[in-house]
Amino acid sequence: MKRPPIRGTTVGIVANPASGRDVRRLVAHGSVFSIAEKCNMIVRLLAALGSTGVERTLIAPDRGGIAERLRRATDVGTLSELSTQAVFLDIPVEDGPIDTVRAIERMVALGVSAIVVLGGDGTQRLAARACGETPILALSTGSNNVFPEVREATVAGLAAGLVATGRVTAADATVRNKTLWVELKGGRQEIAVVDVSICSDAWLGARALWRPESISQIFVAFAEADAIGLSSIAGLLHHVSRTEACGLRVDLAPLETARAILHAPIAPGLLAPVGVEAVSELRPGEHQAVRLAQGTIALDGERELAFTAGDQVTVRLDRHGPLTIDVDKAMATAVRDGLFLGREGV
Amino acid sequence: MKLDRSELLRAYRTMKVVREFEERIHVEFATGEIPGFVHLYAGEEAIATGFCMNLDQRDKITSTHRGHGHCLAKGCDVHGMMAEIYGKKSGLCAGKGGSMHIADLAKGMLGANGIVGGGPPLACGAALAAKKLRTGGVAVTFVGDGGANQGTTLESLNLASIWKLPCIFVIENNGYAEATSCKYSGACHDFADRANGFNMPGVTVDGHDFFAVYEVASEAVRRAREGGGPTLVECKVSRYYGHFEGDAQSYRAPDEVKRIREARDCLTNFAQKVTSAALLTRPELEQIDEEILAVIEDSAGKAKAAPKPSAVDLLTDVYVSY
Repeated sequence: MKRPPIRGTTVGIVANPASGRDVRRLVAHGSVFSIAEKCNMIVRLLAALGSTGVERTLIAPDRGGIAERLRRATDVGTLSELSTQAVFLDIPVEDGPIDTVRAIERMVALGVSAIVVLGGDGTQRLAARACGETPILALSTGSNNVFPEVREATVAGLAAGLVATGRVTAADATVRNKTLWVELKGGRQEIAVVDVSICSDAWLGARALWRPESISQIFVAFAEADAIGLSSIAGLLHHVSRTEACGLRVDLAPLETARAILHAPIAPGLLAPVGVEAVSELRPGEHQAVRLAQGTIALDGERELAFTAGDQVTVRLDRHGPLTIDVDKAMATAVRDGLFLGREGV
Repeated sequence: MKLDRSELLRAYRTMKVVREFEERIHVEFATGEIPGFVHLYAGEEAIATGFCMNLDQRDKITSTHRGHGHCLAKGCDVHGMMAEIYGKKSGLCAGKGGSMHIADLAKGMLGANGIVGGGPPLACGAALAAKKLRTGGVAVTFVGDGGANQGTTLESLNLASIWKLPCIFVIENNGYAEATSCKYSGACHDFADRANGFNMPGVTVDGHDFFAVYEVASEAVRRAREGGGPTLVECKVSRYYGHFEGDAQSYRAPDEVKRIREARDCLTNFAQKVTSAALLTRPELEQIDEEILAVIEDSAGKAKAAPKPSAVDLLTDVYVSY
């Protein structure tokens, strides 16, 4: 027996169609995440959300083929068994990062209880900027997967649904995350959820970073030894958990003059020697100036901004970042409360 | 990614010569003096330039019916190309091939190609030759989104993969195969996704951004030279003109090209980036603009004045003597 929908409960799903198709497929061994697999994940999410009683699921439209496939699945009846009503947001699509931001903002405005975001670190940072206090469940489908989890979508959907329907409280199942803010003179601000890298490259190019010799400094919100990507450089030097009240700054140097040389997994399947000059703590609220007079700034592994000396770039750690749903905690709480037992379903 | 001043100047010059060449052809074709059809590359310059700047005299390229940009970026002579398009004896192919068959084997340009999907098998052959002869050379084949669906292209991807050929497949996805949207004709939204089925890396890149194309191209070429095998690169881009000159383009939104020219033009954005980073100056770029306009003007004048092939010329260049 299926649980009937709980009136008024709404969850959002945003899937970046562009994630997992950048140059890291070429210079490293980045995972290939096809549109078909992303669609499969969304169908599994919908099945799980429906089983927890989520009445309606808002899905971000796209031009990357995800919406098209899902609409086709609707037409042939694949989604008819699901008890959550899947609805595409009526918003313009520009085939770029703005689509993620716009979708999240609209979902928040419509009062969703949770948003599942499919993408890598780059996608998650866009979500983090726009989600406000609405909890997000970050699912990995990109290259750099430090912030989002590699998690079975069905289980993720159960966790999101349990939180959205209130049967697992936010206090029991959500975590407050740190973020990094890059600030330029004139008021421009950009967010990162894992790392900010200051590079000597003069242009954004193919955006991904895989040549450590071009990186001058890395700022991280947290540093884990099992991370992949640029934050692994910090994680292999000094552990900083996701809940500790600080971040880390690492100043790099050419291999010939470095105080220490580290071999770090800076991209999937790519270990590179990195010259380290110094490691220091990044305290919350402190504005740290960057060393380079000009170059580019990578946010969560992708070059996003070019800057010159006049921009007076600083990096700041913020402890009040987005709320994320902790799937392990949500499921454990549900088990503790016996939510999976009984004839009515979840 | 480091590009020194001379390379930046070369990039701008190459993109500019392609742009001005195509803009001139656009004007001249309307006079009725140019025989046959022309298919203009304006808007896509960053792709040909970004890839060809990573190539040298060992390397070969194959092209499409929309081949002027590839020819120029690979170093084909402007005057010879203009004369060829006019069907004159002084053309690169003695006036017998026209726009869709311009070639210069000495420059590694194996030809524009009127057969959709005709280039990839040729590139596989060139890549195989480079591999067997150990020249260190690579082959780059440019294919459109229409050509990406042709059996020849798919077969070539498979062959290049199983023989680990130093071949780079560049899909210039400008959104339309003639008038058919790739959203209709492609089973997948991103052609780069097909690479996985052929056991090679597939990358999607913004074809309007010279630096993005150049960076991906440099890695793909390096991988091929080092024996890593083929790569599929999909460049998403827009063409400024119709499929052919004379195309009413009723399949496009009225302001589609205008919006793209204003926001995403490869030359405008390149100039803005290099001048704001103080790597090049506006006067330097303007000097290049003037020089190129003069060369194009001269080539058009000479092409118009040049003689056509004679009846006797019909019997030459038909067979190859070994």
